[in-house]
Amino acid sequence: METFVQSLVSGLLTGSLYAMIGIGLTVVFGVMRIINLAHGEMVMLGMFAAYFSQKLWGIDPFASVLVWAPVMFLFGMALYRTLLRKIVAGGELNTLLYTAGLSLLIANLALFAWTGDYRTIILPYGLTPMRPFGIAVPAALALGFGLAVAITGALWAFLNRTNLGRAIRATSQNREAAVLMGIDVERVAVVTFGLGTALAGAAGVLLAPSLYLYPTVGELLVVKSFVIVVLGGLGSVPGAIAGGLLLGVVESLGAVYVSATYKDGLGYVLFLLVLLYRPAGLFGVGKS
Amino acid sequence: MTGRAAALGWLAGLLALAVLPFLVKNPFLVHVVILVYMWTVLGAAWNVLGGFAGQVSFGHAALFGIGAYTTIILFLKAGVAPWWGILWGGLAAAVGSVPVGLICFRLRGPYFSLATLAVAELAKLVALNWEWLTNGPVGFLITTLPPLTILGHAVNWEAKAPFYFLAALLLLVALASTAWLSRSRLGAFLVAIRENEDAAEAVGIDTVRAKVLTLALSAFLAGLGGGFYAFYFRYVDPDAVLNIGLSMEMVFIAMVGGLGTVGGPFIGAVFLTTIGEVVRERFQVGHLIFYGLFMMIVIRFLPEGIWGRARIAWARVRAGAHRHGAA
Repeated sequence: METFVQSLVSGLLTGSLYAMIGIGLTVVFGVMRIINLAHGEMVMLGMFAAYFSQKLWGIDPFASVLVWAPVMFLFGMALYRTLLRKIVAGGELNTLLYTAGLSLLIANLALFAWTGDYRTIILPYGLTPMRPFGIAVPAALALGFGLAVAITGALWAFLNRTNLGRAIRATSQNREAAVLMGIDVERVAVVTFGLGTALAGAAGVLLAPSLYLYPTVGELLVVKSFVIVVLGGLGSVPGAIAGGLLLGVVESLGAVYVSATYKDGLGYVLFLLVLLYRPAGLFGVGKS
Repeated sequence: MTGRAAALGWLAGLLALAVLPFLVKNPFLVHVVILVYMWTVLGAAWNVLGGFAGQVSFGHAALFGIGAYTTIILFLKAGVAPWWGILWGGLAAAVGSVPVGLICFRLRGPYFSLATLAVAELAKLVALNWEWLTNGPVGFLITTLPPLTILGHAVNWEAKAPFYFLAALLLLVALASTAWLSRSRLGAFLVAIRENEDAAEAVGIDTVRAKVLTLALSAFLAGLGGGFYAFYFRYVDPDAVLNIGLSMEMVFIAMVGGLGTVGGPFIGAVFLTTIGEVVRERFQVGHLIFYGLFMMIVIRFLPEGIWGRARIAWARVRAGAHRHGAA
């Protein structure tokens, strides 16, 4: 029983960070109908940003998210403006292949610049886990979870309480109607892509102390984020949160009760089953 | 192209294939040419499904991997000579592709692509963990190749020439089957599916059957390529033959050359493999930077690919000449 609770908790904590990555992918899909295969590389860049800001300037990774999230937001907007905008009009398969090229480009530039070595971030306060109620909780994961909840909450408020947020949701629901209501969908698209990139980057910063960093880690993470988004229904933010938590728990319980080596495989099997039988996601809210 | 011009083109190509190793003596150059042929086969394999039928697969690494593992396992554990093993590799990939197709083809567009990605990841996990069959992450190494005598000559496996002719043979198989497909009834079905799947179904095309058959052909070619890889490099492990990067390279080669064309994959392989190998020689890592960059440039400025653009330009020149002739 204790093992069960233990792995459930660590699954939920990791899942909250997965959820952030998933939300980033899903808002972009909702507004632009594109599947961004370079999303994992944005997470990777966030991880390396956290690593270097600790190594070079001694900034705590969790504090550095305050800098890197806005930087990634601007980076995402610039990326969309300069590289992606013309492509998106050409259809979803072209965009898929184009972002595949972008993903390969970023990952291999990183490999070239930083080599393929595995790196870790060591936190001075992260060496002994916290033990609330007798459950071991790594400090890095707990902090990451707290910040992920805060960032997701802020995003939620933005989407629901501001005009720009409403415009984003409106465009996601019905692009033509949004245009007719006078929404500048081009601006919405730029901001949304920035948001998606910022979420991925921030999740990378928060994940960095809990994972190994290497330039091609994005490949693993992008597949995970597809799993999350498809589980929750493409285009749905609450779905991505649920999907992220679910994947975290499935991986963590699967590692204990099924097989540690096949834990990633469980996610893929779940993904295929949902794609086949519930293509609108487990909760039936996505757009297929 | 008229029938006679096409026949002449094939003949000239065959002649060039046959004499090339006698003209080029630099082993590195021959190595690059061998890789160009191998990647043409792989690009053609992807192009059959992605270019003609419009089904973008990100999982072809799995088919390549099945071919490579089949060839090397049959040789090391059952003593089947690798030149026969390549054929078995192709067949194993084709057989393995059928259940994958039956599952994944229930999905369309980007959803199909994502499902194939998951299948490829699963295949890699299986190869990493099914130790008694695949040797896990360690993989397999061929130390000595079995002797072979052709027309009384013992084949020297340390030279490049035997591999050159084998690769050329596979290249011909890939190009001939693509050329056949582009004229066949099945090929016409595929184009109909690519352009509008619902309409294709409405006129009575069994789309699932057509797609599964095409995937099997595509898998056969990818498996041949994988088997050749195992034979030529004599080394197979999950990272080398089941990497997502391999799927992407196949996509890029088909795309850069020109989707849904016979010659496209060859042109794509000439460009990408040559650049890739030269960069690899110089910098060790980083050849994939150029792949990514090339891919983005081609989609942005040349979405019909190099061969596709050349064909369009040629058609325009001929149409112009006709008009002038009439006037």
